[in-house]
Amino acid sequence: MRRSLEDAAVSAARLSRRALLASSALALVPLLSSGAALAATPGDKIRKIGLLCAAQASDPQEFQAAQLIAAAWRQLGLDVEVKGLPRPQLSDVVWNNRTKWDMTMWRMIGRPERSDPDEFAYNLYNPSTIATGYNFVGYDNPEFQKLAEAQRAEPDPEKRRALMYQAQDMISRDQPYLFLVYPKNVLAYDKNVWKPSSIVEQSGIGIRCFWTFLRAEPVGAKRDMICNAAESLIALNPLYISGAIDSWVTELIWDRLMRVGPDGLPQPWAAESMTQVDPVTIDVKLRPGQTWHDGKPVTVDDVVFSFEAPATTDKSPMYKPFVANIASVKATDDQTVRFVLNTPSAAFATSTLAKINLTPKHVWAPILAGLEGKPQNAETVQEERPIGSGPFKVSRFKLGEEIVLEANAQHWEKPKMDRWIMRVITNTGAALGMLPRGEINFLSDYRGDPKLLADLAKANPNVEVVSTTDMGFRFAAPNIRRPPFNDPRFRQALSMAINRQLMVSAAWNGFAAPANSFVSSALPFWNKPGIDEVKPDMAAAKKLLEEAGYQLVRGKLHYPEGVRETLAEG
Amino acid sequence: MPYLAKRLLHMVFVLWAVATIVFLMFRLMPGDPTAAFIDPTFTVDQQRAIRAQFGLDLPLPQQYLVYLGNLLRGEFGLSFRQRQPVLGLVLEVLPNTLLLTMTSLVIAYIFGTLLGALMAWKRGGVFEAVSVPLVLTTRAAPEFWLGMVMLAIFAFGLGWLPSGGANSAGASYGSEWNRVFSLDYLSHLALPALTLAIYLQGLPALLMRSSMLEVMREEFVTMARMKGLSERSIMLRHAARNALLPLVTAFALGFGQSVGGNVVVENVFSWPGLGRLLADAIANSDYPLAQCAFLLIAFVLVLMNFLADLAYGLLDPRVAHERGA
Repeated sequence: MRRSLEDAAVSAARLSRRALLASSALALVPLLSSGAALAATPGDKIRKIGLLCAAQASDPQEFQAAQLIAAAWRQLGLDVEVKGLPRPQLSDVVWNNRTKWDMTMWRMIGRPERSDPDEFAYNLYNPSTIATGYNFVGYDNPEFQKLAEAQRAEPDPEKRRALMYQAQDMISRDQPYLFLVYPKNVLAYDKNVWKPSSIVEQSGIGIRCFWTFLRAEPVGAKRDMICNAAESLIALNPLYISGAIDSWVTELIWDRLMRVGPDGLPQPWAAESMTQVDPVTIDVKLRPGQTWHDGKPVTVDDVVFSFEAPATTDKSPMYKPFVANIASVKATDDQTVRFVLNTPSAAFATSTLAKINLTPKHVWAPILAGLEGKPQNAETVQEERPIGSGPFKVSRFKLGEEIVLEANAQHWEKPKMDRWIMRVITNTGAALGMLPRGEINFLSDYRGDPKLLADLAKANPNVEVVSTTDMGFRFAAPNIRRPPFNDPRFRQALSMAINRQLMVSAAWNGFAAPANSFVSSALPFWNKPGIDEVKPDMAAAKKLLEEAGYQLVRGKLHYPEGVRETLAEG
Repeated sequence: MPYLAKRLLHMVFVLWAVATIVFLMFRLMPGDPTAAFIDPTFTVDQQRAIRAQFGLDLPLPQQYLVYLGNLLRGEFGLSFRQRQPVLGLVLEVLPNTLLLTMTSLVIAYIFGTLLGALMAWKRGGVFEAVSVPLVLTTRAAPEFWLGMVMLAIFAFGLGWLPSGGANSAGASYGSEWNRVFSLDYLSHLALPALTLAIYLQGLPALLMRSSMLEVMREEFVTMARMKGLSERSIMLRHAARNALLPLVTAFALGFGQSVGGNVVVENVFSWPGLGRLLADAIANSDYPLAQCAFLLIAFVLVLMNFLADLAYGLLDPRVAHERGA
């Protein structure tokens, strides 16, 4: 070891005559450290940083992004190792072994109820969830949490937005997440079958949304929409949040009091109106004349039941968090339901009223009664023919093969198509080939290379491709429990070194937008203008590290003076 | 029949061993299986309740005893994801897999046997020089690649056959029988079955060829030649019939193997079968479902092996004689 160091010293010295002249013994230090030669003695060398990500085969984009990040950080003098893991294993390490990793690639997925930024603002960095919940990075900032709670209680949207701007600035300063991109969803349809003007692009979600399925208008004689799903469905159950694809189907079968509109803001749906009586009291007036798919009328009792079932029993654990803030829900007359909340919540309409499925009491009350005292919950129940009150009713389904829904003629907004069919097509290449052949006419789930789809559209003029920025985001998550990631300046420097524009083109083929906030640019009302415009600046990153006391020794980054490495492996 | 009893006991032992290995395999895999299906937003209490619901909170030996006891009662448990009894999920897709497997095996064995016999008959000629490497190539070609080529030609190129699934979108039939024998279902079956058949025919072809070559050296063939029988009659009626024996075993084992081994073909053609269900279950750490699928596959394999053994005794008196039956 000693010998090889000496050899290296000699060869390095040979390269520089001047250095040799100056002092052969100290030649290395001024040659390789970046001008900080006169600083105090450096701390320990920073250990090799592990950057976890999904395996290349399962998520090539994420893997590529991780490689780009590692390359940038190596320029700062860090040793970085990218480790690809299968997703279940990755989740296990990150969620269940919270002290065992340095940095991981991660993502938050867009869902309609996340059109209100409250969920992310409140949950992601909540100190109470550091041990087991969402705050897996371990960011503990009471000042931020105060803002998150204040925005939640602020009924005035403008004032609430000002608080959101502050919150976004604070996160941008502290970098508990190193945001990378907001991905773009790329989907397509056959415009010989569907009128382009009737296809709705919901902000942050894209064209595969409730509004498209409700309002898509056939051009000619083909009146069935044939969609695809890349994997089997799991369940059709109003009390079980089973999977992403399932949710596209359940929101067609079961109506909700409110719906998140194409603009991302909540609007009354099965409710005729919503009135804020005081900060914690909300009256909802039910739209009259609604019926369940079996012909029975939708009553206020059904509405109360729908919210009470997850709240008062343990039989619908996944919906429980969404009703946890409800202190009581009661019918005040045969058309009005009054919600009383524990604490004021500005996002209540989006996160609860637009989320909970209206569930028929006459079907589910006996089922829940039958489950009383048994270990099974409502998630184990699969109705043979699910009953909701939404614009589509179930005709038949095989979860691994095909779902066939038909337009509900009794609904106040009857869909324009006759049937909505979703086929499970596990082969992405085949799904792509089916679109021009008419075997499907709406590509609703595409996980392949967006460029292939763009090429297909070029060759087939009837294929219309729509790409939409997602409200979800990709990020690199530092483990703030472990030095040096506990240092905000260190995290900032890491973030500055990342070239997000390059990442968009090299890893996402252009189908993403650079990100620097937990509020996607797909939500223009809430996203702070300009926050996502971060320029990569390697020199500034190096300067910031230097100012924070980190030092380069022989090209390797060391901690500030006096700081020991406590987590090195071996 | 002591032979039969011994053989049955053997079967039970093998199934027990498979059940144990399957049990251990999933529990010793890295990663907490519950991470895959427990929503991280759950409180600790909720997570504990779900673990208890699936018996995952018990110590491993106790889990094992419960598991064996349930197997004996024919209970395979609830799927982690679908929350439904796994046996029902498996049985729902089994007919699709059986049909795919049977169709492709029958095509592969009829074609392969004839090809093999022909290769032995025309030994040393141009025919053999071309066909042997060709057969080896089909055997070595990755099924995924082969499937995509078939799709590119027959579905996307010529447009003769559908590109995936088991039915046209929204097609409806009165009963399962009507569905399975509809032209629509069969046209969807064609490409996956053909792909699988191309992959499978190599084994019977090569087996038949070597078996034939062996038989052709035997004395009764020389005898037939001396009797002045036509070459055609010698080959088909005498040599080929005697060379068929090893193919019976190969067919039975091939059936057992491809019931579970269709994962690739079923995914390429979006065929709703057991292989796809199994791959899904493993990808999502849904082990009750994967266990059930594995056990069923093992059961079919062991059963087919057993039937092949029995058939062997019937077809070849020498075998039955050695067993002392």
